[in-house]
Amino acid sequence: MADQNTVAAVQRSQVATSGNPLQRLLAATELDTRLIGMLAALVLVWVGFHLLSGGLFLTPRNLWNLSVQSSEVAIMATGMVLVIVTRNIDLSVGSIVGFVGMVMGVLQAEILPLSLGFGHPMIWVIALASGIALGAAIGAFQGALIAFLEIPAFIVTLGGFLVWRGSAWWVASGRTIAPMDQTYQLMGGGALGSIGATWSWILCALICIGIAFAILSGRRQRRRFNFPLRPVWAEVLLTGLGCAIAIAAVWVANSYPWPKGVAQDWAEAHNMVVPPEGLFISTGVAIPVLIAMGVGVLVTFLANRTRFGRYVYAIGGNPEAAELAGIRTRWVMVRVFMLMGALAGLSAAIGTARLNAATNALGTQQELYVIAAAVIGGTSFAGGIGTIVGAMIGAVVMQSLQSGMVLIGIESPMQSIVVGSVLVFAVWVDTLYRRRAK
Amino acid sequence: MKKFAAVLLGATAFMSVGAAYAADLVVGVSWNNFQEERWKTDEAAIKSVLDAAGVKYISTDAQSSATKQLTDIENLISQGANALIALAQDTDAIQPAVQKALDEGIPVIGYDRLIENPNAFYITFDNKGVGKLQAEAVYKLVPKGNYVVIKGNSADPNADFLRSGMEEVIGAAVTSGDIKIVGESYTDNWDPANAQKSMEQFLTKNNNDVQAVVSENDGMAGGVVAALTAQGLAGKVPVSGQDGDHAALNRVALGTQTVSVWKDARELGKAAAEVAVQLAKGTKLDAVANSVVFDGGPKKVPMHSIFLAPIPINKDNLNVVIDAGWITKDEVCNGVKAGTVAVCG
Amino acid sequence: MLDTRTPLVEMKDISVSFGGLHAVQDASIDLYPGEVVGLVGHNGAGKSTLIKILSGAYKRDAGAIFINGEEASIANPRDAKLHGIETIYQTLALADNVDAAANLFLGRERVTSIHTLDELAMEAEARKVMGRLNPNFRRFKEPVRALSGGQRQSVAIARAVHFNARILIMDEPTAALGPQETKQVGELIKQLKADGIGIFLISHDLHDVFDLSDRIVVMKNAQVVGTVNTKDVTKDEVLGMIILGKVPPGAIAGPGAMTD
Repeated sequence: MADQNTVAAVQRSQVATSGNPLQRLLAATELDTRLIGMLAALVLVWVGFHLLSGGLFLTPRNLWNLSVQSSEVAIMATGMVLVIVTRNIDLSVGSIVGFVGMVMGVLQAEILPLSLGFGHPMIWVIALASGIALGAAIGAFQGALIAFLEIPAFIVTLGGFLVWRGSAWWVASGRTIAPMDQTYQLMGGGALGSIGATWSWILCALICIGIAFAILSGRRQRRRFNFPLRPVWAEVLLTGLGCAIAIAAVWVANSYPWPKGVAQDWAEAHNMVVPPEGLFISTGVAIPVLIAMGVGVLVTFLANRTRFGRYVYAIGGNPEAAELAGIRTRWVMVRVFMLMGALAGLSAAIGTARLNAATNALGTQQELYVIAAAVIGGTSFAGGIGTIVGAMIGAVVMQSLQSGMVLIGIESPMQSIVVGSVLVFAVWVDTLYRRRAK
Repeated sequence: MKKFAAVLLGATAFMSVGAAYAADLVVGVSWNNFQEERWKTDEAAIKSVLDAAGVKYISTDAQSSATKQLTDIENLISQGANALIALAQDTDAIQPAVQKALDEGIPVIGYDRLIENPNAFYITFDNKGVGKLQAEAVYKLVPKGNYVVIKGNSADPNADFLRSGMEEVIGAAVTSGDIKIVGESYTDNWDPANAQKSMEQFLTKNNNDVQAVVSENDGMAGGVVAALTAQGLAGKVPVSGQDGDHAALNRVALGTQTVSVWKDARELGKAAAEVAVQLAKGTKLDAVANSVVFDGGPKKVPMHSIFLAPIPINKDNLNVVIDAGWITKDEVCNGVKAGTVAVCG
Repeated sequence: MLDTRTPLVEMKDISVSFGGLHAVQDASIDLYPGEVVGLVGHNGAGKSTLIKILSGAYKRDAGAIFINGEEASIANPRDAKLHGIETIYQTLALADNVDAAANLFLGRERVTSIHTLDELAMEAEARKVMGRLNPNFRRFKEPVRALSGGQRQSVAIARAVHFNARILIMDEPTAALGPQETKQVGELIKQLKADGIGIFLISHDLHDVFDLSDRIVVMKNAQVVGTVNTKDVTKDEVLGMIILGKVPPGAIAGPGAMTD
């Protein structure tokens, strides 16, 4: 055993000491080159729009907006990765968003107030919990049809696409339900639906500590099994890099002040005197963004650190092998679709909270954006391949394109043309990359 | 020539029947899809007029099938309808059945949707007028300043129709430079969430320097108001809409939306029934009260038509929708501060 | 060599058909501890199907399976594994997109006290096992797709022998291997046999089968032609069984034997 490890260590250190500095850096830090490529593309898109829009894109306000606008699709994209990894597809998520959103809307605006009274503090909890549960139930049902009755996922979820959109209409005969509960609305972001400067910095500190802890415990584990360790400089660099990104993001979010009108109203409501130069209250990280980040961490954990995640990828790589290895593949599939449904429910909560209304059209075409985000993020339709963080960056790329085009005054038909072309182009580049990597 | 003869024949037939046996008149209505909730309102209005006039009401439901609607109309004819009101499932596919009725001397009223036939009558709301009313309500408050225009789905001709109505109101001011359009966009699927995102970007682009928003319907107005609320601008920037959505009427009372242009389905039903009775009694198409000749359809066929004016609902005439039974006072006044809106007390 | 011990495995009168086509008909075979039974026959003779019933991949239509003399219900691969039956499939049945350790532990992952995957423990154990089987194996961090045929085969073999199997099914285990590696597998089989493990060996290569097995079962047209002790027969006689279904003297004839 000792021999084995020494050999491996020699191998790795050979890579780390040969080649050009960039190769050495990548080998030592074990960073994913594909991910770095995506981030580079994103930066390129941002800088491009910044120049074209006359300096509007890379402003705290626009970036903050972008983060909120991306969160719904990003949340669902994490689930879609697992669905596509198992060689399935879910076309129904947009319709589930519509249906669940409508149910949550009616629940909090028309049903719960009857028994609890308007503005009861439990209303948002019950509405949200029911929405997520309903989404999960729908997902599990569709998953069971796919796994146990062996109806292709494309067909089941195409049916779901129609059924749940129609059901959304039935809930309230197509009426728009508004307004949403006051506390519930905070999930949609906005000045009040953000955590402010102090908590944002606390969050930032927690992220830094988390990264450092993960790297340290990884080191300790590797030492336990006598595995080669990454060079200390690489570990420090990784920690610093992760922490720097967190600091930059929080700094941007904190640089976006509460809009004047909102600050004014708030000051009046709290009997404060507004100074002549106006109030500067930092907005900080928005709650929907916080939720999306939480979902990202959770699903990444599920995918990489649990048996469930391992089975999902194994099924995607070779369904027959997974079955022969004794994995209950059908149940895994049901759980994948259930997770997808629950995430659609959560996303519906953010969408309705943000709009302060539940409408029939909520989530229309969102399934396409969610699938596109996962695919741009490197998820392969052949199955077995895809990362959660990639899909979330994919969601941000898509939303950046859309928001950026509105800023520079491109009409929606042209936007569709651009987004569609970028999708195909991105997948082509990815295919080239993989071929070369082989 | 043959058609002319048929009409003439029909007209004489009515004259002989009409005067003597008014009580035996029958009006048939062919609905394209009665499952949609809104048509029940229309039906009630039609029935009330016919009952008052002592005319019998018969109806069929095509359940969204253009083919079924053809046999439906034949059935209505054989049941002895003296006039037909048709809500077309497919404005072209329905033509043979309409022609058959006209050939038998039975007048046909195209209801809400155009049936392009020179011998049919057309009754609907003035859609172009809606865009005009939307712009007018906003323009009255903001004759000068930066405007944002939120249009509907780019594939829906109505979106451009409404926009051209707006142009009639604000066009001159735009040319003179009093009004500057700082943001204009179509909205995929008329989706409020998309309208919200567009509005957020327009506000970012102009650093909140927007004085008015003309939105083509109430749903999108909801998205616009959500974006304005996030910037503390809701209630300070006029916003238009249409449809009389309950949520929108509540916003009108709250002051975050300026106007919702409302098309009263009962007015449409009432007008159609009245025209049907007149025609059944033998009135000629060009003699129908308030009718105009319309040739703005795709085939430019001149037709006798009645266009009802939609009603712009604002803070001051909210009682109209409440009195009409369209919405309850509680729904309109939900969350409204006492003393701010007349109807809410 | 009539054995009075209880057989490790006894499959009795197994039948299975797919869409009206008999894949296996009234087949009975058995296996004793520390014994290698070679299973030979043409393609489509029913060998793989019969063996997949034992490994839980297929469900039988009729017949019974006894493990250590007790009737066992094997409805899926999990049941088979619970009885200590491990299989090396001809296709290897590896998930190509994950690494060797992940494949080795697929379905039997090591977890930490909080039920997360213990990746490092699995990798360490994988290095140990692979070090024994294939000392040149180095590529632990790569998905098995990137490995050579021989390396993949050794991952599949490692998976089958690592979890204290009592019964091992090897379906063409040397098909993808070079002479050197084939020899290694031969050594491995002898070693496992010495440990008291019973092995079903399916192979096209009669030479291998004669080298390694104690008994040979021949199948033809979904039926068992007969069972022979390897040392009692010549290759030509076995070929006669495979091609014609002709049973040599001293063999136990099965239902598929040629009758004259």
